[in-house]
Amino acid sequence: MSLSAVQGGAWSRTAALAVLVLGIEYSRVLAGRLPGMATASLLVGGLALCLLALGRPPADLGLGRDRIAFRVLGGFALAAILLLPAAVRWGGGPSLPPELAVAAVAVSVGEEIAFRGALFGALAEAGGPALAVLGSTLVWTAAHALSHPAAFLPAVAAAGLLLGTWRWACRDLVGPVVAHVIADLSL
Amino acid sequence: MTRALLLLGMAAGLYVAAAWSVAPGFYDGFGPQAPYRWVSPPPQFKNSNQPPQPGHGTAAVASTGVVNPGSVFTQDGQASASWAPGAFQAPADHSPVVIDIKPVATYPDPGGMHLATNVYCFTSSSPIAPGKDVLITLTFSDQLPAPSNVYEYQDSGPWRNIGNTGAAAPFSISGRATSLGCFAGGYPAAAKQSASGVRVGGGQTLPIVIAVAILVVVLAGIPLAILRRRSKDG
Repeated sequence: MSLSAVQGGAWSRTAALAVLVLGIEYSRVLAGRLPGMATASLLVGGLALCLLALGRPPADLGLGRDRIAFRVLGGFALAAILLLPAAVRWGGGPSLPPELAVAAVAVSVGEEIAFRGALFGALAEAGGPALAVLGSTLVWTAAHALSHPAAFLPAVAAAGLLLGTWRWACRDLVGPVVAHVIADLSL
Repeated sequence: MTRALLLLGMAAGLYVAAAWSVAPGFYDGFGPQAPYRWVSPPPQFKNSNQPPQPGHGTAAVASTGVVNPGSVFTQDGQASASWAPGAFQAPADHSPVVIDIKPVATYPDPGGMHLATNVYCFTSSSPIAPGKDVLITLTFSDQLPAPSNVYEYQDSGPWRNIGNTGAAAPFSISGRATSLGCFAGGYPAAAKQSASGVRVGGGQTLPIVIAVAILVVVLAGIPLAILRRRSKDG
């Protein structure tokens, strides 16, 4: 098989994966607006996003037990950065109800596995690390267009860029998962 | 490695700048984004308006005799009360404290204040303990000017301003109350409240999370760095 055919296959798979990720994200947001569906849509959406990584070796996703202390520590550092602008201006607020907190963890893990795991890996395979960071950030931002007011999208994009840059620089997904979970549970 | 660190630093800086430009900063869309449910909808929302919903919850009394911390939300998420341990006086029989939230259609004349949310009346089966408070959070419509403060009245009035402690999510406003009554978000009628948005202030839980995260990074990072240096030297 020629190199161009292999590359063409990688591009097709990547495009299909991006469409699937967007489809799952939009579906879970729309389903969450139905009465009584908020928690269920987050749980099912998080699970569906995780399933996109099926068949990929953990190392390709940036997962692994080597350097685990460094990875977890990186997650705490990333969480501190993600929450810093809100913490400086914090005035208190209601905490997430337990069922919504569990659902928030599911969707945080699912989003990281889908965007910085499976999609990042597919983009890196098709076009290299720069495309992986920028492409996964672009799709991540588009995926949040339904759930966030437009004014928040630059911050969403910047968060995606930060987590994607960590994924590339440290070849690690554990840090972004830890950071995303802490940030979602804190706000 | 240096280039990677530099890019990571740039990405972190860019994020902080972008998140600073919109309050509260990090937000992952768990807040309600559905159209605001009005008791008395403004004319432009009359056709599509759904009635607001009440809320009901309880706070158990721990074996230590202190009322547990918790939150109660209305079913549509538009109003909530959150409290720390011991915020309510524990009933003598240690039965749970019952908290109710109800949107109301009639209330005292707000005078020189414009209401930007429904008026919600909060009741509890046991009063707030002396020296304690409850955080009242109200969401508001993203289609109209934002309130600048939370206002409260007891019994038949008058309204009084309890301030604004900030927001945990977009399109919400919070105030601390030392007694329960009826609450609404509003702003002085004379004020030029031209744009909807979020007001923010200073508080507790999130800064603790940040402090713990930084402490973990520093405390665990030092031995990690020493181990790494030793393995390099060795």
